[in-house]
Amino acid sequence: MTRKLEGRTAIVTGATKGIGWETALLFAREGCAVVATGRDAAAGEALVQAIGGEGGRVAFVAHDIRSEADWARVAEAADAFGPLDALVNNAGVFFVKPLAETTEADFDLACEINVEGTFLGVKIAFDAFARGGRSGSVVNVSSLMGQVGFPDAIAYCASKGAITALTKTAALEGAAMAPKVRVNSVHPGVIWTPMITGQFGDDPALAEAFAQDTPLRTIGRPEYVADAILFLASDDSSYVTGAELTVDGGRGAD
Amino acid sequence: MSAARELQGRSAVVTGGTRGIGLAIARALAQAGARVVVTGRDTSAAPTAVEGVQFVQADQGADADWPRVMAAVGDLPGRFDILVLNAGVSPFSPIVATTLPAFRDVMRTNLKGAFLGLKHGVAAMRGHGQGGAIAMVSSIVGKIGVAGVPAYAASKGGVRLMAKAAALELGPEKIRVNSVHPGLIRTRMTEGYDEAAMGPRAPLGRFGDPEEITSGVQFLVSDRGRFVTGTELVVDGGWIVQ
Repeated sequence: MTRKLEGRTAIVTGATKGIGWETALLFAREGCAVVATGRDAAAGEALVQAIGGEGGRVAFVAHDIRSEADWARVAEAADAFGPLDALVNNAGVFFVKPLAETTEADFDLACEINVEGTFLGVKIAFDAFARGGRSGSVVNVSSLMGQVGFPDAIAYCASKGAITALTKTAALEGAAMAPKVRVNSVHPGVIWTPMITGQFGDDPALAEAFAQDTPLRTIGRPEYVADAILFLASDDSSYVTGAELTVDGGRGAD
Repeated sequence: MSAARELQGRSAVVTGGTRGIGLAIARALAQAGARVVVTGRDTSAAPTAVEGVQFVQADQGADADWPRVMAAVGDLPGRFDILVLNAGVSPFSPIVATTLPAFRDVMRTNLKGAFLGLKHGVAAMRGHGQGGAIAMVSSIVGKIGVAGVPAYAASKGGVRLMAKAAALELGPEKIRVNSVHPGLIRTRMTEGYDEAAMGPRAPLGRFGDPEEITSGVQFLVSDRGRFVTGTELVVDGGWIVQ
């Protein structure tokens, strides 16, 4: 069987850890040249070593997704591999703070990174798909918290809800392009990554508590989400656009 | 690396598998290494020439038919842990014109049949205790309103929420349950539809092929979907986005 992304080029943001790291690794194993981006250059170098060591094609670009100038450099790096086929808008920021304690600066931070960063990515990708004449796929990493409410995460929920809705409009605009571009969102539940452990601590007892609070009784792992992102980025989902794929062990089902 | 045979060593039941989406799913699961029992009411439509696929005449809505289906899959090599509840009917029939027997007939096949499939399938999966994955084929009509199909809409909406209830109940046993929501797919169910006129109502501009549902179902029932349960996979070319 041929690999799912053979000969293609993709951008994966926030690839220096967690879901982004696993997605970049998986895409490379599926034959894709990966432009992996993030703010941590040392981690980016480690990813380049990891993928390169498996014979995959990868370039790391230091990237603040709020910066249009940075996005232009990311697009150039993709062009160096070939016409862009897929973008995974994965980078984001997560923090827990009750409404009353959430400052305007906190709210702005969540929106600038999660929403504006995603918006700029879609823009850059649509432009690259049009230039390359590719029927590309954009996968926006939203969250279960972009589908349901969660206490003490007002800014995060607002920003992820915005990604969910932005994805649907982008799907309609992408479908009007020639060739057509697909845009979908992925909604991870509790995935044991630095984004979560950075807030709550890397405590196995806590991971177990999250697992027991999940219908499947297991904690989420970033590679589970990477598989869902691959499904949406590849031709396996050729008739899927504007859809939400939840990867949460059943947390959101009730 | 794409596992060429990612379902090796597993066995599966696909209801309504003699044609259309069900047959495409059965083929794909078999190509991925699973041994597959397909069911259908129509013996004359039995797929005979598909390697790894075995036909059992059965009505999804008949409780008495299910033990025969489970016995057939139980005789196959491999662990039975994939169940695709796909059988369904979709008559166009506005509310006042729909008789109670006609309404019941749709609910019997689509909703009660899906329940019976869960009941018998889960009992078999519990037998080995290794969990499993169930895909319930609903429809976009299980999520949005469509005029003229009240019974179909009720049945598919029911399937959508029954999948979530089952996911919550069965999650601790590692049995995953998800619903799939096809839009307009080129099957016998839609062969009277004018694709040139209706296709563009889907943002992707066309009807889907059965194989485009298959790849989604295979994602859900394979280990690639191992943390996906109680959710909905919409495969509709963007139909319900706007």
